[in-house]
Amino acid sequence: MKHNSVISDIWFYIRLFRKHEPLVLVFGGAEIILGALLPLFTIYLPKIAIDLVERKASSGQALLILGGFSILAMFASGMYKGVEAGKYNLYNTQRTNLMGMFFLKSLRLCYADQESGENKKLHWKVYDAIWGGDWCAVSQMVRGTIDLCVNVLRFFLYSTVLACLSVPVLVVLLVLALINYGINMSHIRYEESLREQRALGQKHFQCVENAMGNVNGAKDIRIYGMREWMIGLRDRTIGELRELARLSKKKDAFYERIGFALGAVRNLGAYAYLLYQTQTGGVSAGEFVLYFGAITGFSEFVNNIMSSLAILRGAANGTDYIRAYLDLPEENRKSGRGRVESILLPPEITFEHVGFSYKNTEEGDKTVFRDLNLTIHAGEKLALVGANGAGKTTLVKLLCGMYEPDEGQIFINGIDRNEFPREEWYRLFSIVFQETLILPFTVGENLAVDRAERVDEVKAWKALEQAGLKQTFQKQGIHMRSYMTKTMTADGVELSGGQKQRFLLARALYKNAPVMVLDEPTAALDPIAESEVYEQYNQYTQGKTAVFISHRLASTKFSDRIILLDDGEIAEMGTHEELMRAGGDYARMFEVQSSYYRRETGVWADREALI
Amino acid sequence: MATDYLLTKLPVREHGKNIVKIVKYVWGMDRYYFPGMAISLLLKTAVPYAELLLTAYILDGIGAHTGIREMLAVIVSSVLGIMLLQFLSGAVYHRMEVRREQMYYLYECETQTKMLDMDFSRIDSPKVKELQDRIRKDNNWGAGINGVFWSCSGIVENVFQLIGAAVVGFPAAAFLLRSKTAAVWLLMAALAAVQVISVCLRMHFGRQRDRWRYHEAESVQEKEETFCFAWDFAGQGSYNYKNGKDIRIYEGYDLMERWTTEVLRHKGFRDPMVQASKNDAGEAFFGAAAGAAANGGAYLIVVMIALAGTVTVGNVVRFAGAFGRFLEAAAGVVHGVPTLAMAARQQLGTLALIHMENEMYQGKLPVEKRSDGAYRIEFRNVSFKYPGTDRYALKNFSMELSVGEKLAIVGMNGSGKTTMIKLLCRLYDPQEGEILLNGVDIRKFKQEEYSRLFSVVFQDFTLYPFPLAQNIAVSEDYDSGLVRKCLEDADFGDRFVSMEKGLETYLYKDYDDEGVEISGGEAQKIAIARAIYKEAPFIVLDEPTAALDPLSEYEIYSHFDKIAGTKTAVYISHRLSSCRFCDKIAVFHEGGLSQLGSHEELVKDKNGKYYELWHAQAQYYADDGMR
Repeated sequence: MKHNSVISDIWFYIRLFRKHEPLVLVFGGAEIILGALLPLFTIYLPKIAIDLVERKASSGQALLILGGFSILAMFASGMYKGVEAGKYNLYNTQRTNLMGMFFLKSLRLCYADQESGENKKLHWKVYDAIWGGDWCAVSQMVRGTIDLCVNVLRFFLYSTVLACLSVPVLVVLLVLALINYGINMSHIRYEESLREQRALGQKHFQCVENAMGNVNGAKDIRIYGMREWMIGLRDRTIGELRELARLSKKKDAFYERIGFALGAVRNLGAYAYLLYQTQTGGVSAGEFVLYFGAITGFSEFVNNIMSSLAILRGAANGTDYIRAYLDLPEENRKSGRGRVESILLPPEITFEHVGFSYKNTEEGDKTVFRDLNLTIHAGEKLALVGANGAGKTTLVKLLCGMYEPDEGQIFINGIDRNEFPREEWYRLFSIVFQETLILPFTVGENLAVDRAERVDEVKAWKALEQAGLKQTFQKQGIHMRSYMTKTMTADGVELSGGQKQRFLLARALYKNAPVMVLDEPTAALDPIAESEVYEQYNQYTQGKTAVFISHRLASTKFSDRIILLDDGEIAEMGTHEELMRAGGDYARMFEVQSSYYRRETGVWADREALI
Repeated sequence: MATDYLLTKLPVREHGKNIVKIVKYVWGMDRYYFPGMAISLLLKTAVPYAELLLTAYILDGIGAHTGIREMLAVIVSSVLGIMLLQFLSGAVYHRMEVRREQMYYLYECETQTKMLDMDFSRIDSPKVKELQDRIRKDNNWGAGINGVFWSCSGIVENVFQLIGAAVVGFPAAAFLLRSKTAAVWLLMAALAAVQVISVCLRMHFGRQRDRWRYHEAESVQEKEETFCFAWDFAGQGSYNYKNGKDIRIYEGYDLMERWTTEVLRHKGFRDPMVQASKNDAGEAFFGAAAGAAANGGAYLIVVMIALAGTVTVGNVVRFAGAFGRFLEAAAGVVHGVPTLAMAARQQLGTLALIHMENEMYQGKLPVEKRSDGAYRIEFRNVSFKYPGTDRYALKNFSMELSVGEKLAIVGMNGSGKTTMIKLLCRLYDPQEGEILLNGVDIRKFKQEEYSRLFSVVFQDFTLYPFPLAQNIAVSEDYDSGLVRKCLEDADFGDRFVSMEKGLETYLYKDYDDEGVEISGGEAQKIAIARAIYKEAPFIVLDEPTAALDPLSEYEIYSHFDKIAGTKTAVYISHRLSSCRFCDKIAVFHEGGLSQLGSHEELVKDKNGKYYELWHAQAQYYADDGMR
């Protein structure tokens, strides 16, 4: 990953704010200027007061000078704190914006890139960099930048004041600052060395926390009596964190003591020097207070510069993740000449010498297909079967364009698929994937996966009817504007596992694309509902090219052709009857499954013979 | 409505009670924290006053031409004394910080820890959900329990400041009282007025800010304007990257844009943000301005007195410093108390959840330990509705589970199969009827012992991102030999061999980056191994083969006898084929037991539900093809 300089990261945010919330920049700028000036009020106030007393000024003069000075100070510090607090919500809104940009970006990547191990890790880092409230990289970057500017300005202002006193004193202070710098650096380095361990400790803690709080696991926790196990893990992880806190605080205390001791030395020196100066008449009582204040303030600013630099370094890291993610190459959605309208539908799709492997998995690259050749004919109903891990779902992902083959080509009606912009290619498919997703939006938006105003209600109801949900919905008074899940309203529509599968089927039917792919669409259905889906399958796929994946081999009977995948190869291919006659693996699998259903089969003896 | 509960006015006494409640609770977690912190703050507060006195001494010394040697002696001893104070205060402070962090983590997971002990029936209840929702919102702003710690420390520190300022600035009172200048008194009055007004304005802006900050969208339209999908779902919740497939295929990008970045431009989203910003700014402005006024005003007043009388330069600095600090600390206390009250109020939800009491009757009878596993269960006229629903999930249900029996349960979605299992394990108590273990109502047994009788693999079982062996033994200590054997029996042996770290392999990557991802089928096998390891007399498998291919399914079927052994076994499945190797089949329909018998018996009854279910599936496997 590219590491950007802190300056370029700051610039990244400046551009973001300029575009979306310029007021943050105005407030930040005001904060820097006011913040730099403010400490001057603090050190000049006693000086002015003492001077007034010493020269026995009149009450009127005192009132005018001190009163005026105080009112000025009131406004300056009021404004300073006002802009500081005022920008808080504004830049936090931009965190929300950034989260949105990040999420939308994830949808513009190639799916394969989104899924790959490296980007998944990056995804989480970006998430942390935006999510974590005041401690996340975005917030820290804003704070750190302003603090740094303020303290650098203060440093120069105080240097000027001190230079008026004596240049050697300034030099001594600068040397002290350098020593401080060294000490601070080693402290910060130590803290940074703990950072990773602490993140790990927190991750462990969160894991246990989630495990305990996971409602889904509550049954298992009770039945298996996991309480003690969980409490033990909890205390272990908290112990881990406590130990880290102990180490870190011990170092804090150590460096703090050094700081106090150095401060004592500095103060002693300052007192002695200034006292000596007053004796010789070079410094008045008022100046004594002024310079002493300047000397103590000076080293504080040096410390602040150090800590804001450390904060910025950490935050710049998080920002690099954000920028790296936003810079990832995107899927080519638009360019290409191919148009769905210009080809004959339903289409024929051909895989020629397709090779594909998963990259960056735990075991390194994992090859799924070496040389896959397959033609799905126009209007054909194809069934895809095979053991878990044989490559069925991967084949679907290659087909619909989630994955790109490493070798070989995919053709549609003889045209290379790369002629089509990806957006156009996606239009060809209605797919029910295994993972179910119900968005917390309206029924219509979920069915059409489009804005509510563009939902075709007639079409939507027809799709629901075909999927066997219309009656249920009507009985419960659910309509296209009803919200799904409980996120938006307490009476949002909640579906059972079986209903969800039917709903996703309805979504596929609503889209009515020329190619229909169903991946295990009946796993959560009871026998009767399953049978209903089978019976309507022909109607669903009328005039379409279709692929059906299922472990329930019954589903193969209404397919024109069956493909048995084994370890990424087409092991068998043909109609049900052909494959049964051939007596290969398919026949054996079918026998195993159907044996239980055949009335005459004895219970155990035959089954043993089959394997 | 529960929405704006943080903003409703409460009598002061209630606030007091809330504060006492939460402070008492955390005090109970660590008795040393608060006293230790107080000591550290006391030492810390002494430092600036010591410095103030020292400065005053030096300035007066300069005026009085005190000998430099004498002054240096005082300076050196004072500076060393101050350093000692700082050392001591720091030493205590850092120790207390370690304690605070530990309390923070413990407290943070108290609500999750509570989930381990709560009645199962309440975990999902609207009341608990409401509390959890409230806790989540409460912690949306502020620093959670740290807010309580910090505002307590802030108040204590300010009180010490008040005391310090009073002690150091006390002689000034005499000068003030003797002062005959009207201007001084007028200034005092003006300064006091500025402080009072600014505290009032600060609180006003603070309240306004809270009104926007804690405002909850109520209407759907309002929610539509404020709900950012990315914020809640990008990394968690029900959405994950795999769903990106659907968004792409169904061309949902535009819809996603509407629910993410577009929301930010809505009035409903922006207005509260801008309003809260204004009020934040107002609150901060008056706080800081009042502080500056206190310092400047203090100097002005002291200077006026000094010009009229006999106050030394040193005392000017001393009195003005003390006076300014006094005013600031007073404002700090006045402002700190409501802050603490709010922080305490934000913890009420958490405390309510932690202190929620269980309702289920807890029996005392021990469960007799029998090596022969002769435990007989009977459901007698059991009726049950899930909490918060009107529909009977089971209605007047009666059935027996005899010792060593192998029972299959079939039925349509929602017919009450899983509900019966949940009642069997006493995750819920039925509203009517009773469940008996060897003739005794199961409510009379100690729940802990009763639970030991069952090994259940639920349809939605959960494995945890901890080591494999711990998942099976559900303990940090385990019998490695037995764990291995259970894995073998659950047909996980092949995959286990490929695991480099063996039993210590972490599942998933949540806890350990080196952890392994497992497929649905593999997870099912591990869950079955866990059930075997428990060696309970009852074993229940709820849809154990849904994620498996035909051959793996067959493996599980054929191992079933081995897994079950002589135990009483219950097997729920949508694949009716699996019933064939059970002694008896129970057919559930609409919350009741509609048929019971062997496959051969049931399949003959052409009017029965079983016949319908069986043929719905079997027709596709008939030799003569489809239909």
